Amino acid sequence: MTETSSPPAGTVMFPRPKKRIRGRSIAILVFLTMAALFFCIPLYVLVTTSFKTMDQIREGAIFSLPEVWTFEAWRYAWDEACSGITCEGLKRGFVNSLEILFPSLIASIAISAVTGYALALWSVRWAGGFLFLLFLCAFVPFQIIMYPLIVITVNMGIYGSIWAVAFIHTVLAMPVLTLIFRNYYKDIPPDIIKAAVMDNGSFWRIFIEIILPMSGNILIVVLIMQITSIWNDYLIGVTFGGLGAQPMTVNLANMVTVTTGTVSYNVNMAAALQTAIPPLVIYFVLGKFFVEGIAAGAVKG
Amino acid sequence: MGIRWSRLTPQLALAPAVALTAIAFIGSIGWTILLSLTSSRRLPDYTIDWSDPLRQYRRLFADLGWNIALSNLIILAIGSALAIVFGFVLAAMIERERRGEDFFRTVFLYPLAISLIVTGVAWRWIFNPSLGIESFFHSLGMTWVSFNWLADGRTAMYAIILASVWQSSGFYMALMLAGLKAINVEIWSAARMDGVALWRVYLEIIIPMMKFTFLTCAILLSLGVIKAYDIIVAMTNGGPGQSTWLPAYFTIKAMSAKGNLAFASAAAAMMLAITVVVFLPLVLLTAWQQRARKGAAG
Repeated sequence: MTETSSPPAGTVMFPRPKKRIRGRSIAILVFLTMAALFFCIPLYVLVTTSFKTMDQIREGAIFSLPEVWTFEAWRYAWDEACSGITCEGLKRGFVNSLEILFPSLIASIAISAVTGYALALWSVRWAGGFLFLLFLCAFVPFQIIMYPLIVITVNMGIYGSIWAVAFIHTVLAMPVLTLIFRNYYKDIPPDIIKAAVMDNGSFWRIFIEIILPMSGNILIVVLIMQITSIWNDYLIGVTFGGLGAQPMTVNLANMVTVTTGTVSYNVNMAAALQTAIPPLVIYFVLGKFFVEGIAAGAVKG
Repeated sequence: MGIRWSRLTPQLALAPAVALTAIAFIGSIGWTILLSLTSSRRLPDYTIDWSDPLRQYRRLFADLGWNIALSNLIILAIGSALAIVFGFVLAAMIERERRGEDFFRTVFLYPLAISLIVTGVAWRWIFNPSLGIESFFHSLGMTWVSFNWLADGRTAMYAIILASVWQSSGFYMALMLAGLKAINVEIWSAARMDGVALWRVYLEIIIPMMKFTFLTCAILLSLGVIKAYDIIVAMTNGGPGQSTWLPAYFTIKAMSAKGNLAFASAAAAMMLAITVVVFLPLVLLTAWQQRARKGAAG
């Protein structure tokens, strides 16, 4: 690690003894690098194992690079691997996950944005009480509402379809997302709304013409939060998806846990990577918004 | 005219959210609690046996699996707290050094973008006794090293803790980093001028100042621990035996496998009770902290 004698401008406001910087800096960087290596181990092992042949895997050197790089495991995991009783690979689950993702995103963001907007900017008398209720709902464990929701979706005639999964994603995301939108919209000066109302603007026209164009940032943050959480969900998919609408995570879990005969670790790792790639791509491309999404989702009100 | 119109529309626009809250949350919670007081088996039966309404709860606490789940919950909570400590150390180092901040943050945070099922698959492979990290150490001649944690009921929870710490440390690091950056730089210079040792500055000034961040982390941690389910499915599926059962896992298993609805509902109700008991003080404390902070700032 090369040492620069002057720290980056604007970051350090007080003089630090020059001599001590070097040693401490090096120690910190060494520690951080070791931590980074620890964090990379699972990804490294996933990638290398997925490109190895089973013959090489049986030799037992988990950290070695593939002697021959082969895409066979990737193809097999995508096309043929067995998950439960069907052997169609992960591609079916991939399609299901996409089909679940879009309606869930649209419905959850639409309902939460409108609710957050109404609560933040229109003087609804019971807004405070309702917000507090939503805040409490954000903490409710899924198990306590699981059975009633199954009964409700069965009675709606959607249980076991992508619509049930999308509906439940919408319901469960609604409290947190509403709080996030409400917190974002409450900083909009009320004068803007008053002027718009004077101008004969209706609730919906103000939302579409004034509020939505101002919501770009928060929409991206919420979108990223929702894409990763819906894509990575297992419990809702396995509970409400039945056999026909299982998302990719459920297929993956079935593939790796219910295996008979010899286990093809390279196929398992390829399948795991295929499931992880979509959210990882979003993370590496839009990392900044991802961090903001975490902070927004964390503070929750 | 515009104002009268505007009074009604917002309330109508809120109707779907209110309906969902009333039915899917409040109504459903009441529904499950009601079921927990009955003796429903496969199908719901809504007659409460008033002579002994808490029968299912008594059965629950007599159940070995539930008791294992409860003690595992505590073990997991204590173990996962390491992620907060680790996250703070990483954040403090990144904030001190600043070189490579973006790189380290990206590396520490990527596990959060991955499904816990994938995380579980990866770690189970690493813990594989004959082909995983254990055989790596053995091939180096360190045959005394044992990483066959998942096969032993006494160590399986530690493997799960390690995977959860790996998964969530970056998240706490991000929260802590935001908290550290909000701290006034002058405090540093004042403390350093006085010649206070660095570790004492952290321990006696910085950490107390970040109470709110730590509380937030504690709330999110306990929420994550109570919800922990996917990682168990992917890593151990509850095994060996019942050694890695957790309340969330127990409840889902009871709901789906046993056909004992009232019993499973009682377990779900206990999960809610645990959440309330853990959160109410934490959330109130946080709200109080926040108010105190605002009061101090204003």
